[in-house]
Amino acid sequence: MEVLQTLINGTLTGAVYGVVALSFVVIYRASKIVNLAQGQVIMVSAFFVWFFVQKMEMPLWAGLPLSLVASVCMGAVVERLVFRRLIGQPVFSVVMASIGLLILLQGAVQLIFGAQTRPFPQVLPDGAWKIGDILVNKSLLIGALLTFLLTELLNLFFTHTSAGLRLAAVAEDHVTAMSLGISVRNATAIAWMLGVTLSLIAAIILLSGKVLGLQAAEIGLRALPVALLGGLESVRGASLAGILIGIGEALASRYIDPHTAGAASMIFPYLLMVFLLLFRPQGFFGWKRIERL
Amino acid sequence: MSMLPSGVFFQSYAAEQGLLRTWPQRLGLVASFLLLASMGWLMNNYWLGILTLGGITLVAVLGLHITIGMAGLLNLGQSAFVGIGAFVAASMAANGWSIWVTLPCSGLAAGIVSILFGLPAVRIKGFYLALTTIAAQIIFPIVMIRLPDGWFGGSAGMSVDPPVIFGWVINTPRSYFLLVLSVAAVAFLVATNLGRSRAGRAFRAIHDNDIASSVVGVNLAKVKIQAFFVGALFAGFSGALYAYFVRYVSTDQFTLWLSVWYVGMLIVGGMHTPFGAMLGVAVITLLQEGVHLLGTKVLSSFTGMSGGTVFSMTNVVLGGVIILMLLFEPLGLAHRWSILKSSYRIWPYPRG
Repeated sequence: MEVLQTLINGTLTGAVYGVVALSFVVIYRASKIVNLAQGQVIMVSAFFVWFFVQKMEMPLWAGLPLSLVASVCMGAVVERLVFRRLIGQPVFSVVMASIGLLILLQGAVQLIFGAQTRPFPQVLPDGAWKIGDILVNKSLLIGALLTFLLTELLNLFFTHTSAGLRLAAVAEDHVTAMSLGISVRNATAIAWMLGVTLSLIAAIILLSGKVLGLQAAEIGLRALPVALLGGLESVRGASLAGILIGIGEALASRYIDPHTAGAASMIFPYLLMVFLLLFRPQGFFGWKRIERL
Repeated sequence: MSMLPSGVFFQSYAAEQGLLRTWPQRLGLVASFLLLASMGWLMNNYWLGILTLGGITLVAVLGLHITIGMAGLLNLGQSAFVGIGAFVAASMAANGWSIWVTLPCSGLAAGIVSILFGLPAVRIKGFYLALTTIAAQIIFPIVMIRLPDGWFGGSAGMSVDPPVIFGWVINTPRSYFLLVLSVAAVAFLVATNLGRSRAGRAFRAIHDNDIASSVVGVNLAKVKIQAFFVGALFAGFSGALYAYFVRYVSTDQFTLWLSVWYVGMLIVGGMHTPFGAMLGVAVITLLQEGVHLLGTKVLSSFTGMSGGTVFSMTNVVLGGVIILMLLFEPLGLAHRWSILKSSYRIWPYPRG
């Protein structure tokens, strides 16, 4: 029973990692941009939700669409001002720009909203369902179902529509894609729209009914090993890897943490990532890149 | 090697290859070094502290210049390696070792740990490496505070006694500044010469094209790990100096944030030359102080002004500067400087 409860908790938490990893993967898969500032983007979306729903006291049906509009506007500004100009530049510049963005957004949020924590609106239902002896957290379960739905939809988009298939060429190489007549600009725009929307959903699943602060951005770096484990190009891989890491973390925190003062579950994803990179650099479902001179 | 003015020529290869090739260059170097050293007497303790910290930071950023700028291996965990150096120095100093032993040992310790996280570099490249170094950065505090208290002080951190060199206790800001200045100068010289050596050329080769360089006989795995090791070696030295300077080390001094700042300094200054690293450290430190001054002077009239606001303003400025540099001058301020220099040299002719 106890093991089952641990597994279920792990799976549900893992699905949250999955949806955050999904937002990394979607941006990468559509535009070959590794956005290390994804955690900060999620934080900004969360602050928009807080601003419209909690501060302006709007009802959810008005506040959430408005937050989506605000987030998408932010994504468009970032894409237009920074990443569109870096099309065709080495990956290094893009990663560095995302680091610059990370610092900028973190600073800007602290400057505008302040560093104090505040309650995040209860968007998903509170409490837990009781099945036999097992408790299932309601908002996490809904979040997990939402994650799988999104994963399948995105997978369908990327593998079965012509717009999605075109993005595969962009993720392969900007210059090649352009020479095939594919608009890389459109691709980065689509990538950011999707990425920001996913960030908003991730923020809602992650924070519903909890406290919101600058620490919310840390989820970005926690989900990085997940995105890598699944393979940066694989939409389905992200949520699968999320569940794998979630279960691993839950088991580690239940059975190993008492002996290591809580260290095991915290470093487990990162150790797994370093280890995996040694033996399978493209992750479980990522593309194997063949390079030649 | 930049272009020399017309009429300057050399009669031997050694003279042509020298770091300083003409007497004004030698004079300029001695003068600027003396000027820097004289800051120990001219500046008040606050600015001397900033200058000292700048020197310590420079050593770490020079290490990053080797790993990132020369070898092209992205390292976002430099401050963890600085931290390892600082903790090793603090721990050894507490056991009575002198700075002559602790300084090299902390460098080596950081270097050895960096190999663990650099190993995946053999298989991967580019930004994937950023992720393993981020892992190093995140694992570092978690592991450090859970090691036995006797090793590195646990979560309480460790205090450090001032170093003694030739029976001279370095406990005034001035003497410590002179110590840091000399170490930073040596580090600068080593980084400069490394770039001109066989190893440095191998680093540059894998930076430009790793497959091509492996074809011409560069041992990729070895060279990548070497580049990582040397970069972390510098970080270790920087950490030891930091431990002696602040006289207290704890894990929350070495955050991912600091690593990101180091990389930011390198980008702003220009990552391909040690001079760029120096320029970056100087500019970002001055910018930070400027924002700090402006923040406390101008904004103190507003209510709700706190240290956090100044910190966040600094972040906004630094993040903005990094993005602007990447968009408009990816080669950094050092490139602007060399353009300026060459156009001055060939004046009145237009720059080619």
